[in-house]
Amino acid sequence: MCSVDNFLLLMEGFATAMQPMYLLFALGGVLVGTAVGVLPGIGPAMTVALLMPITYSLEPTAAIIVFAGIYYGGMYGGSTTSILLNTPGESSSIVTALEGNKMAKAGRGAAALATAAVGSFVAGTIATVLLSFVAPYVAAFAVQIGPVEYVALMIVAFLTVGALLGSSVLRGLASLGLGLFIALVGFDALTAQQRYTFGSPFLADGIDVVLVAVALFAVGEALYVASRLRHGPIKVIPVTGGWTSWLRKEDLRRSWKPWLRGTMIGFPVGTIPAGGADVATFLSYASERKLAKGEHKKQFGKGAIEGVAGPEAANNAAAAGVLVPLLTLGIPTTATAAMMLVAFQRYQIPVGPQLFESNSTLVWALIASLYVGNLMLLVLNLPLVGIWVKILQIPRPYLYAGILVFAVLGAFSVNFTPIDVIILLIVGILGFFMRRYGYPIAPMVVGLILGPIFESQLRRSLAISQGDPVALVQSPVAATIYVVLIIIFALSLLLKRRQRQFEAMVAANADASDVVRGTATVSGSDAAVATTATPADPPNREDTGR
Amino acid sequence: MSTSVQNAGSGTAAAPGKPVGELIFALIIVSIGVLGFVAGAGIQTPPSASDIGPRAFPFAVSGLLLVVGAGLVFQVLRGHRGAADEGEDVDLDAKTDWLTVGKLAGFVLLHAFLIVPLGWPLAAAILFFGAAWSLGARPWWRNLVTAVVLALVLQFVFAGLLGVSLPPGFLEGFGVFGG
Repeated sequence: MCSVDNFLLLMEGFATAMQPMYLLFALGGVLVGTAVGVLPGIGPAMTVALLMPITYSLEPTAAIIVFAGIYYGGMYGGSTTSILLNTPGESSSIVTALEGNKMAKAGRGAAALATAAVGSFVAGTIATVLLSFVAPYVAAFAVQIGPVEYVALMIVAFLTVGALLGSSVLRGLASLGLGLFIALVGFDALTAQQRYTFGSPFLADGIDVVLVAVALFAVGEALYVASRLRHGPIKVIPVTGGWTSWLRKEDLRRSWKPWLRGTMIGFPVGTIPAGGADVATFLSYASERKLAKGEHKKQFGKGAIEGVAGPEAANNAAAAGVLVPLLTLGIPTTATAAMMLVAFQRYQIPVGPQLFESNSTLVWALIASLYVGNLMLLVLNLPLVGIWVKILQIPRPYLYAGILVFAVLGAFSVNFTPIDVIILLIVGILGFFMRRYGYPIAPMVVGLILGPIFESQLRRSLAISQGDPVALVQSPVAATIYVVLIIIFALSLLLKRRQRQFEAMVAANADASDVVRGTATVSGSDAAVATTATPADPPNREDTGR
Repeated sequence: MSTSVQNAGSGTAAAPGKPVGELIFALIIVSIGVLGFVAGAGIQTPPSASDIGPRAFPFAVSGLLLVVGAGLVFQVLRGHRGAADEGEDVDLDAKTDWLTVGKLAGFVLLHAFLIVPLGWPLAAAILFFGAAWSLGARPWWRNLVTAVVLALVLQFVFAGLLGVSLPPGFLEGFGVFGG
């Protein structure tokens, strides 16, 4: 496989993706994606799960383009929320919130939004270029590996996903185990034996992945938020001025290097299973903080533009990086990637190293649509940011009631039986308690989806070796994978710990106490806001009102 | 989608109430592991199986749940609590509103029983109306209008345009709403 071939294939991909119909699908995807990225309580993974019914009627290329658009769009939308909404959000956007929210409060919200959007575009585009050129080589390597190496890769993926996608290693592994367990229910694919069906015909076919995912993401989230709904008005920091004046020369000069550095950090971190975008944004933030000099360094914690530009770029670059193991190995390392894998499975497209050969038109159309989607997102997020601010203000009762309606729609359309809605509720209640007690959801979804694939590869390897488990580590390639990935795993764990210490440090710092909550007193946070706020934003000061 | 952020130390600051519920949850994980072994022993292995058979992997997963669950029970008993999930709309300082959670779960359950007799759009409208009311949306007539419009739009888009077979109920006969 040479790069000229790949270039031609990419051009063919563009020819497909630029057809008006596919452009429309891409636009729909990025619109929905940005909207759900902006909305609290709903993210790209949940949205892809909820929209799984479209795989019944759309052809594969169209559906995959929509889902990829949602994935990229969600990355853009999240930054708008963390910059403009005066309440703390999710950990993957918390870094942006650190500086971005401060900038917005100081009346520089427009610049923060602009550097986030342009940075996302720059990083997304560069990372997509990297994806186009790296992925075929990884795929060419991956087709040569056998089930033993696969088992090695998946064990490491399980470990990292379980241990890193959350704040507690044991809770992540428990979540992973629950996913693996639910995936076991039903007929064994190899021997047709019933497992954990307890004689029930409903369980014999297994519990549908989409049903579980929708229940965990949508119903679990709605119930959890309902249990602790933040009441009172939604405080959005207003943005002033035309969008063309948002990024001043000075801002651009300070932003372009963080954009590029963020990209270079984000893409590799996304590629390896090291906990996804979360770690990438933190790494980028920490390095920008370290590299900043003089006056700019002092601004960190009070609204430094570098602290928005770098992490936002890293975030989007990591999103593209995640697609490398997904498309070349069939290994999802985030919840959204796992849901995209389900979409491939719905179409009976085998995901794995063969994908680039067996479905090259689809894959290249998907990659080309990412370039197009990125451009659309830049336009959608700069001049049209006002629309998203409106969406941010949607009354929360309607938002969560709507999420529930979409969830029952998705559940019912799995098999068109109301029993699935009841299973949805039961798993949703499980999701509620998982959130309540700090169990991450993503490892469960990944385990649910990768479990059956892992078992069949494991059993195939052991059948070849006639049951000798030593064969699993004897292959030189597998052994190398274990060694390399154990190092990556150890490093990521170390990094995660650093990140936590860092967050704790930031939380202890009174400056950021209204971003990272739960550690500072209310009066402390009030005082901090008062010191950093300029007279331009009096209505948004009172965090205590929540 | 949201992942939680650990606060400084063990995260006790963010965890609500007494750890009874958390302990029960960890014990449930242990018992699923036990159940996995007990029920897994009943899985038949055909003599023809050339590989490790259908029982080995379930045992491995059950073992994982057992060990991790036991570890969690130990952690919770020692006072290491999980950090409750954060989110823009979540007020971690608020007391748990069990009544609203119960109402929402009740409306979802009701919806499951209404789909067949009433058709999807009506059942969905009732779910939205009930859920919005439970979450504190007023006035009721605006909730009602929103619920009906949303249900009709979803029925039109998913059943009419995308061909998902949602039972149209009273809309039977209107081609644009599928059937």
